[in-house]
Amino acid sequence: MIRSHFLNLALFSILVAIFFAFLTQNRGRDRVRVILVLGGSMIVLSLIVAYVMYPFPLQR
Amino acid sequence: MAETAPDAVSGPEGASEAPLPSVSPILPCVLGWLLPGLGHLYLGKKGRAVAFFFVVFFAFGFGLASGGTASLIDPQQPLSYLATFDNLALGPLDVVARMSSVGSLVYRLPPDEGDPRRQALMTHLRERVRHPTYEYGNTFLLTAGLMNLLLLLDAFDIAMGRKR
Repeated sequence: MIRSHFLNLALFSILVAIFFAFLTQNRGRDRVRVILVLGGSMIVLSLIVAYVMYPFPLQR
Repeated sequence: MAETAPDAVSGPEGASEAPLPSVSPILPCVLGWLLPGLGHLYLGKKGRAVAFFFVVFFAFGFGLASGGTASLIDPQQPLSYLATFDNLALGPLDVVARMSSVGSLVYRLPPDEGDPRRQALMTHLRERVRHPTYEYGNTFLLTAGLMNLLLLLDAFDIAMGRKR
């Protein structure tokens, strides 16, 4: 199985983006746009949140 | 297949799609619960049905293969009710998940701490938790359930004519 945090994150983001693209859009072009925007946003925002969390570890 | 209504709404994949059948909104939901995407297929949304089937099935299979475990109701943990309900949204797939991850078709932890069945289940669950990708697996498994829950609501809305 995939042990990489990033690959799991990317796979999860793409799956959820595909799901919502088909759930909310009717045309192929719109679906591709949602997949790119939603999937990309989830990955980028997760990396930003992870970076922001870096100075604040749960345990010292 | 159900009889076609004269004022049916065309499907989302284009004008060439079959008109919406006039059916009870419950039937597509039951079909979607039995197999992800089947409700949409019944409603004539072939493209969506195939996509939903593969997405939910992949999330489910990947979650299970990653060490994800079907949730059990534990009265001491209120969120376990939600997680178990979420698992149940997968229909027969939940039985597969339960049999392969918990080892038996059990939905609730025995409340008595000294109950040998509870101890056996807890031992089994602790072994699953040791799996390095257990958290990922659980996330994928729960997400598959949530997605199928949304699909049931979506099929209901389509059958009711609220959505194309």
